[in-house]
Amino acid sequence: MDFKTTKTESAIEVRIAGRMDFTDHDRLPDILSQLDGTRNRLILDMSRLDFIDSAGLGMLLIIQDEAEGQNVKLIVRGVAGDVKRSIELARLSEIITFQD
Amino acid sequence: MDAALSESPAEPAFRAFSVLRDRVPVDMAARVFARFDGTGIEGDAAAEPVEPPRPAVDAQVMERADRERLRAAFDRNPFLTVELGEGADDCAALLDDWSGASAADDPRAPGFYLSLTTGTAYGLHCPVLVCDELVRRGALDPQRRSNIELCLHEAVANAIVHGNLGLSSAVKGEPGGYRRFSEMMRDRLGDPVATRRRLDIFCRWSGRSIAIAVVDQGGGFDAGLAPATTGNKARSGRGFVFMRTLAARVTVTDGGRCTVLQFDR
Repeated sequence: MDFKTTKTESAIEVRIAGRMDFTDHDRLPDILSQLDGTRNRLILDMSRLDFIDSAGLGMLLIIQDEAEGQNVKLIVRGVAGDVKRSIELARLSEIITFQD
Repeated sequence: MDAALSESPAEPAFRAFSVLRDRVPVDMAARVFARFDGTGIEGDAAAEPVEPPRPAVDAQVMERADRERLRAAFDRNPFLTVELGEGADDCAALLDDWSGASAADDPRAPGFYLSLTTGTAYGLHCPVLVCDELVRRGALDPQRRSNIELCLHEAVANAIVHGNLGLSSAVKGEPGGYRRFSEMMRDRLGDPVATRRRLDIFCRWSGRSIAIAVVDQGGGFDAGLAPATTGNKARSGRGFVFMRTLAARVTVTDGGRCTVLQFDR
């Protein structure tokens, strides 16, 4: 998994690419460290993510919980293909905000 | 160490199983042969064999696997592809029972068997390699690959993380537990006892179905406790839910060390 971060006036945008799976737990603190208390929206752009497994979905929920704890709104954008399939199987759209 | 396995610049990175045949314990060779027939070639099960059974299975054995070596090994159409692993355990690895997976009903059904050390399998994306090989051998329609690859990935992840590395996901549900889980994962990946445990993937197919067994050498688990469904806020436990949703059948045997996924073709 690779990711790049950009910051706008009100949001932190993290673009995730590649595969997000059980070998990526080490990267989670790096993503969460972007929550620096200066922005109230965290946008995860997954349009370049090819694959996510159940462990990756668990990481998504951890990011959601950590963001909520800091009054930051998590928005996940651009899910498609196999990533969308996994998210639908796990019914995550019931608890995480997804946008096209 | 077996002289036939020693590295020398003139030798290829992997060697045919026949090179090792004399060194493989007779009982193990007989067991592998009896269970798998070893031909990897689909035959007419009703026909009488025209040749006597061969003494060894077609195999590629390598000391250290990586993506390129595995693809090159697969190109030779072996039945067994085995990574022995580094260090003094090489001979012990040869004694391991590679046949932990349940035998298929038809021992002549085509298939292949991949045996890797956990240290190699972690991060290798071996489900991608295995699905590539299933497609290459004509067993898997590329249009149907996606769900099979996800199921295989989940079974392999369970075998590595919960099986051979012996980690529980329970800690992830605790506050800040993801940091603790990452630390535990790093610790186990630094433990040679854990990383030398084997991950075996055994694929067989017929005209109607594909069966893939994923076998680990961990402590096993009570399959009855694997969730059939999970709350959508749960941070773990979805792997089995995915497998049970997408596969035609999921069977757990050997005290939780062997997961067999079956798919319609």
